[in-house]
Amino acid sequence: MSTTTIALLGQPNSGKSTLFNALTGLHQHVGNWPGKTVEKKEGSFAYKGSTYDVADLPGSYSMSANSDEEVITRDFIASGNADVVCILADSSQLERSLFMLADYAGIDAPCFLVLNMEDVAKEQGKTIDVASLEKKLGIPVMLFSATDTKAYDKFYTTLERALKAKSRIDVSALEEEYEKLEGYNEIKEQIHDNVIPGYTPMWLTVKYLENDKVVSAKLKSELSEDKVATIESLKGDNNGAIATGECKFKWIDELVEGTVKGKKKTIKLGKLDRIYTHRFWGKPAVVLTVVLGLLASFIPALPIMAVASVFDILKNFAGEALNSAGCSPFLIGLLCDVVIQSMSYVTKMLGFVFGVTLVFGLLEEVGVMARISYVFDNTMGKLGLQGKSVMPFLVSFGCTMGGAAGARVIDNWGQKILTIALAWAVPCGAAWATIPMLSTVFFGPAAPVVIIAVLIVMILHMWITAKIFGAKLINKEDRCGMIMELPPYHKPKWGALFRYVFGRTKDTFFRVVKVVLLVCLIFWLLSYGSGATDTSILYKVGTAIEPVTKFFGLPWQLFIAFIAASVGKEGAIGVITALYTGGSYGEGFAQAMSGAARAANLGDILLANVSRPEALAFIFAITFNMPCVVALAATYQEIHSVKWTARIALYYTLVSLALACAAYHIGLIIW
Amino acid sequence: MKRLLELLNDGNSRTLEMLADELGTTTDDVIRQMEYLECIGAIRKVVKPFEKKNPCASCSGCESGSAACKGCIPQNAAVNMGQMWEVL
Repeated sequence: MSTTTIALLGQPNSGKSTLFNALTGLHQHVGNWPGKTVEKKEGSFAYKGSTYDVADLPGSYSMSANSDEEVITRDFIASGNADVVCILADSSQLERSLFMLADYAGIDAPCFLVLNMEDVAKEQGKTIDVASLEKKLGIPVMLFSATDTKAYDKFYTTLERALKAKSRIDVSALEEEYEKLEGYNEIKEQIHDNVIPGYTPMWLTVKYLENDKVVSAKLKSELSEDKVATIESLKGDNNGAIATGECKFKWIDELVEGTVKGKKKTIKLGKLDRIYTHRFWGKPAVVLTVVLGLLASFIPALPIMAVASVFDILKNFAGEALNSAGCSPFLIGLLCDVVIQSMSYVTKMLGFVFGVTLVFGLLEEVGVMARISYVFDNTMGKLGLQGKSVMPFLVSFGCTMGGAAGARVIDNWGQKILTIALAWAVPCGAAWATIPMLSTVFFGPAAPVVIIAVLIVMILHMWITAKIFGAKLINKEDRCGMIMELPPYHKPKWGALFRYVFGRTKDTFFRVVKVVLLVCLIFWLLSYGSGATDTSILYKVGTAIEPVTKFFGLPWQLFIAFIAASVGKEGAIGVITALYTGGSYGEGFAQAMSGAARAANLGDILLANVSRPEALAFIFAITFNMPCVVALAATYQEIHSVKWTARIALYYTLVSLALACAAYHIGLIIW
Repeated sequence: MKRLLELLNDGNSRTLEMLADELGTTTDDVIRQMEYLECIGAIRKVVKPFEKKNPCASCSGCESGSAACKGCIPQNAAVNMGQMWEVL
């Protein structure tokens, strides 16, 4: 019984594996190609008394030597191992998938073309004139769907035809295109037939022009020195692959012209996308979207904030109950002012985390975030950064450490440092939990205005920082263009969205509650005095430094909270809770409390003791301060420079104090 | 494709649709040109941190062995952000 070998050749997703499995069924085995880690799949089937061995060649885009898969594929075919090569193409997108055929054209092995996925092409309203294509190509062509098990008779018939005809692709039209290329004819003249068995001079010339390293090396070893010198002098610039690629696409277009009928898929920008991508209106549209998103975030946040007020009631109830039970003031303070008060604030923070994650997660799900990312991508160019820097920035809205790690996608060292430096200006998840809460406490309905002001300052901060650091880190020529695919708008998957939002909220809760409780406890203990005005350590230190901190608009309590925020922004809340409620147990805080120590909740205490300009100064100070110590460590880990890490940290500390000072004085004018 | 590369080298970002419009062709044609340019190493897809098979591999927190790492992108985050390509 005779055995025939068929090689299956096709790009990834051309349906090659489906065809291989349908032909060979259980008669297949998998190994590795000799000396390579590339998977080798072989199988066999019997048809009309003959046995057919099938080699499923590795999926590759072309026949160039860009990867092990491609070299293995072309070597297998050119070495004559296959009696016939079955080339697969996706009939629903022939303009793209016929590229493998175009790149194969010129290899001296019999072949036939299988236009797979007939069903998909039909669904798209496409009809393919197989006979016309066969005539143009000079090889058997068939149209079918590899998934349709009833259609395989057609495959076997075409296979028999191909084996009988042993035809090669008619390359005359393709070569006419190649002949227009500079140096093609002259190089081809130097390459005689069979210089490398299995490949025609046309194919070798094209690969040489494409700077195919394997072909170039083989030609240099097979040709005389004179000929090598001649072809080297004719090769020209390094754009050969682009020129030959254009020839192949032109040939494909001519093949498809008149052969494939049906609508060409042209995606046009929708009305909304025309606004987002508009040179003038794009930015205002994005800013408006973000502002509306932030405002909308308050809606789901409010019910959770209302739950937080339960803790305030619980605090009063627990305080009275423990007091009447004769518990020590220390224990009552520990439970009420550290544990319950911290939980109240953490719950309020979670409300905002939930709201922001839900609204912006929804915008992402429906595809709006990709548009925002696109608009800011062009802004990246103005900052001297690569377009992909926008990704670390977006990640930094969640966590600056993630943003620093995300900057690893940037190859240029200077751009990577600048990207991380600017990512520090992006308020992280902890800041987004803290800022809205403090804004609501101090500014009530005007809280969104404060948040918008923070965003505006963030953009200005990034722009100025880019100018300051960019001068040393960025070369203008390092910036190149970017292509972005705008995903289609689609309905949100509510289940997945809520799983994500609840997951984020839960993670934030566990992360924040530990930091807030710990920091609150430490500072509460440090502020716990024995009764005299100046007995607590913190009070002594605080009042000593207050003349300086007041310059920046920060009372000493808020300044200490600012320092604690360098460890983690959540820590600021712990410090405020400890310092402004701890006073009810020590006269040391009487001055700070101004008689409001017995106010029902911390919000009232803060309002009674901190002026609005001071609150504004504090909000700007902690927002633009160093994100946290972990982000500092991550920055060093990514940029491996103590000098730049220290510069960035110092710069942010100074800028945040300067912004606090400015906010305070602006606040004094307003209020 | 030369024209496509010229456009990409001007430093501006564009969408597929904008490129098709500027080149007077279809988005499918732009996609196939980009596939080819990607294959010959003229452009490359940007693999975002959260698209990697093991996103933690790019996270400083995980590398440092921190038990409570905050740097990783949560699952299901940034699912509909579109694809980016950059010029090399």
